[in-house]
Amino acid sequence: MLEIQRGVIELNNEVIKLQDVTAGYKTVTGFKSILKRYQVVLKDINLTVSKGERVAIIGESGSGKSTLLKVIMGLLKPIKGEVYVYGKQIYKLPWRERVKIIRKIGYVPQDPYSALNPLLTVKHAISEPLEALGLKDEIIEQRVREAVKFVGLPQEVLNSTPDELSGGMRQRVLIVRALVAEPEILILDEPTSALDVSIQAQIINLLNDIYSKLKTTMITVTHDLAVAQYLADRAFILRNGSISEEGPIDQILSNPRSEYTRKLVLSYYVTSFKNNKSVGTE
Amino acid sequence: MTLPSLYSRIMRRNLRRTRFKIGVALTTIIVILSIIAPLIAPYPSEGYGYVPANASERKLLPPSTQFPFGTDALGRDLFSRVLTGTRTAVIQAVSVILISLLVGMIIGVCAAYFKGLIEVTLNYFTELFMAVPSIVIALFLRLTIGQGLHVVIISLVIAWWAWYSRIAYVYAKSIVELEYVTLAKLSGLSALKIIPRHVIRNIFQALTVQAISDLGSALLEASAINFMGLGLPPGSPEWGVILYEAITERGIEAFLFSPWLVVFPGLFIFMTTLGFSLIADPLREDLDPRLRRRWKLWF
Amino acid sequence: MVLAIQAKNLKIGYMDEEEQITWATRGVDLSVEEGESFCIVGESGCGKSTLASAIAGVLPPHALTMGKLYIFNQLVINESERNYNGIRGKVVSLIPQNPGTSLNPFLTIGDHFYYILRDVKGLSKSDSIKIAQEYLSKVGLGKDVLEKYPHKLSGGMQQRVLIAIALASEVKIIVADEPTSSIDANLRAQILNLLSKLVKEFKVTLLLVTHDLASASKICDRIAVMYAGKVIETGLTSSIISKPRHPYTRMLLDSVPLLGSKKSLNPLPGEPPSLVEDFTWCSFRDRCPFRIEQCSVEPPLIPVEDEPHLVRCWRFREVS
Ligand SMILES: Nc1ncnc2c1ncn2[C@@H]1O[C@H](COP(=O)(O)OP(=O)(O)OP(=O)(O)O)[C@@H](O)[C@H]1O
Ligand SMILES: Nc1ncnc2c1ncn2[C@@H]1O[C@H](COP(=O)(O)OP(=O)(O)O)[C@@H](O)[C@H]1O
Ligand code: SF4
Ligand SMILES: [Mg+2]
Ligand SMILES: [Mg+2]
Repeated sequence: MLEIQRGVIELNNEVIKLQDVTAGYKTVTGFKSILKRYQVVLKDINLTVSKGERVAIIGESGSGKSTLLKVIMGLLKPIKGEVYVYGKQIYKLPWRERVKIIRKIGYVPQDPYSALNPLLTVKHAISEPLEALGLKDEIIEQRVREAVKFVGLPQEVLNSTPDELSGGMRQRVLIVRALVAEPEILILDEPTSALDVSIQAQIINLLNDIYSKLKTTMITVTHDLAVAQYLADRAFILRNGSISEEGPIDQILSNPRSEYTRKLVLSYYVTSFKNNKSVGTE
Repeated sequence: MTLPSLYSRIMRRNLRRTRFKIGVALTTIIVILSIIAPLIAPYPSEGYGYVPANASERKLLPPSTQFPFGTDALGRDLFSRVLTGTRTAVIQAVSVILISLLVGMIIGVCAAYFKGLIEVTLNYFTELFMAVPSIVIALFLRLTIGQGLHVVIISLVIAWWAWYSRIAYVYAKSIVELEYVTLAKLSGLSALKIIPRHVIRNIFQALTVQAISDLGSALLEASAINFMGLGLPPGSPEWGVILYEAITERGIEAFLFSPWLVVFPGLFIFMTTLGFSLIADPLREDLDPRLRRRWKLWF
Repeated sequence: MVLAIQAKNLKIGYMDEEEQITWATRGVDLSVEEGESFCIVGESGCGKSTLASAIAGVLPPHALTMGKLYIFNQLVINESERNYNGIRGKVVSLIPQNPGTSLNPFLTIGDHFYYILRDVKGLSKSDSIKIAQEYLSKVGLGKDVLEKYPHKLSGGMQQRVLIAIALASEVKIIVADEPTSSIDANLRAQILNLLSKLVKEFKVTLLLVTHDLASASKICDRIAVMYAGKVIETGLTSSIISKPRHPYTRMLLDSVPLLGSKKSLNPLPGEPPSLVEDFTWCSFRDRCPFRIEQCSVEPPLIPVEDEPHLVRCWRFREVS
């Protein structure tokens, strides 16, 4: 009885669900692209994310992490398989309808240096999602100011252009932009890998703060195990485009099941400080 | 302070500034002349090609105080004709470049933004037009719709827009892959807003500099079409036409016995193109990332 | 012991269009012995890359210099004069920071090796390809990359190619500017091991530039911490890591996330100051919790008793 009830609740709470998704990029362009030849990057991915969860997708460079995010956000139609966002098969919908669902996702892209139009002010960049919702100017202005205050940026940044900002400031501006339309899911692609350690720590603290206040579902993509540990409760290990391990992050880090994850954890220690609380990787 | 390096840097920049200033000065003079030419020309009606009543007395006179540039075979004052030609020159060059830029930019940017079949088709189309020489189009138009300014402009635009389309496509192609375009798409903004705001704005500077440096070539090609008698009718105030008349009426002798007929219009063509390119070159240096000094080496 | 690198009050600046000078390094004193692995740690914009390129001889021509720099006792920077003849590429080689912009997009990877080895060692094409293969395999790349153009490689692969190129010229000093910043943990470990092996086996001097204190501590003998163009603390790795004396170094250590223990991260708010203005006070003043009146006067380099350890802070005793 209890089992069934739990099952029902979980079903309702599933915000993202990928079923046997295989995806990749076309290898031929131009007229020949009709041929549909693909370089497969993701193979048979199954993944569900429930409401209010914090999930990490961990993998080496080139393992297909960013590609997976593209599939989730409706930007790359999978070759095979189904993608459900809020229970809707987004790739069965035309772009206009799809965007209405995608809007519930706030996305912070991988490279803070190419994610802001160099010619627009920060204010313009942040208000764009609200503008797309068709809100009035005064309301936009007010919400932008509130959001900027929320992440602890000074109001002056609103009038600056991106090249006056450091990497950490840019990243914060991008987080504000993602949050301003009050998304239900926050997707972060390598939120700290372009930043220095102390700025990285500031951003990690900020994201944890945001989560404790807003309880948005958070999906973090990273290759840094320690960062994942701070920003997620559950993790998927991606290897060459398939999920090789899945589970609570503490268990994955302390007691990895697959050989690959174990290697990943071990190699992490080679370049990091020794930790007194030794982890059972042996 | 390191004096030698500082000195060479300031010199280099000043040199660039001087070139730019000369270019601006030349171009300003030409533009002002093009506006006030009919007012300061000593024989305004002759400037527009009317043959004066006393033509037979003043055919092919060499430069003098009365006729600073001499007179042509029909007895018209060459100074007035060349001066009046300034306006045609500016109109031709500017309108050809503006129209080509507009058409090319829209097509190139759309090809880059919409991808898929649209991209393939538009690119194919662009490539088709890149192979067409303007002279051939002008010849075709001359035979079908006759002579006139529109023939010059249309034939040059047909030959030129494809280049801008190609340049716009190449620049836009790298812009549309950037994350800010993705973010705008994800927030649900329509292409109609994204394209001008994120794509065109970011390629516009590069395209404008390209356009400015092409003004000179546009003028040269327009003059060439006119020189071959395909564009403006004889008597029109246009430097190419003046040269055409000199050659058709006097043949090779024009160079030998009445050189002023070729030298003065030629000089004006040269000075105008020089002015345009002196403006464009420093701008281009500023734009080219390899020549730009202030790039950041952050992290 | 031979000094491989010695800098005396080295200042390097860049002038911008408005004739403002950004002083990226502001009086650096440094001495690195032959066969040592020395590390410069600091955050983005503190002048690490500038110092690294000064040592490798690749400062852009518009950079302004003051002070002196010796490489193996040869004076390469003497106030405004720079002369790297016989040094650049032959004694020092740089692993540059931006893999994307450091490779020529029109040359294959094999050509890159050929041109560099031809210049440095006068090798023929086939010889240089052979050497290239050897070093590429050391950084975990196959020989198939030799025919490829740079844009076909991922960021991590480009960086490894650059490392292999620097190693192949077999110089005495390797300056590595953030060699592992776009590489994940697995490969990072491999490359750091390779670098430290070079130091041990071939007596190469390694100057590692990074913002990652953790990996620095793994392979370096000594560390210099830079902040806003100045070295603010320098000493043996073990003493810097276990007993940081400068509040900034301390903060850096506190900010590194540790695997397996979710200790709280305590970064100090704020960011480094702009390098245009000239400070006559401690550049860390605005972020420093230990600040006192005296800090508005330039803090001196204070030696720590009984240790080869220098700190630029008035209150270093209270910090540790
Ligand atoms: N637009 C694209 N066109 C073609 N291939 C692509 C494209 N983007 C990525 N790829 C390929 O897909 C694979 C996975 O790339 P992806 O960007 O998902 O990696 P990632 O896991 O995010 O790595 P990183 O940590 O370096 O960002 C790579 O082999 C890459 O070359
Ligand atoms: N080639 C350059 N031209 C002008 N300014 C530069 C150049 N390289 C670096 N700078 C400036 O010098 C300062 C220090 O930069 P850099 O040495 O790259 O720091 P780091 O490597 O520590 O991040 C920065 O303010 C940067 O903008
Ligand atoms: S000198 Fe003063 S301000 Fe500077 S780090 Fe030390 S205590 Fe802080
Ligand atoms: Mg990625
Ligand atoms: Mg750097």
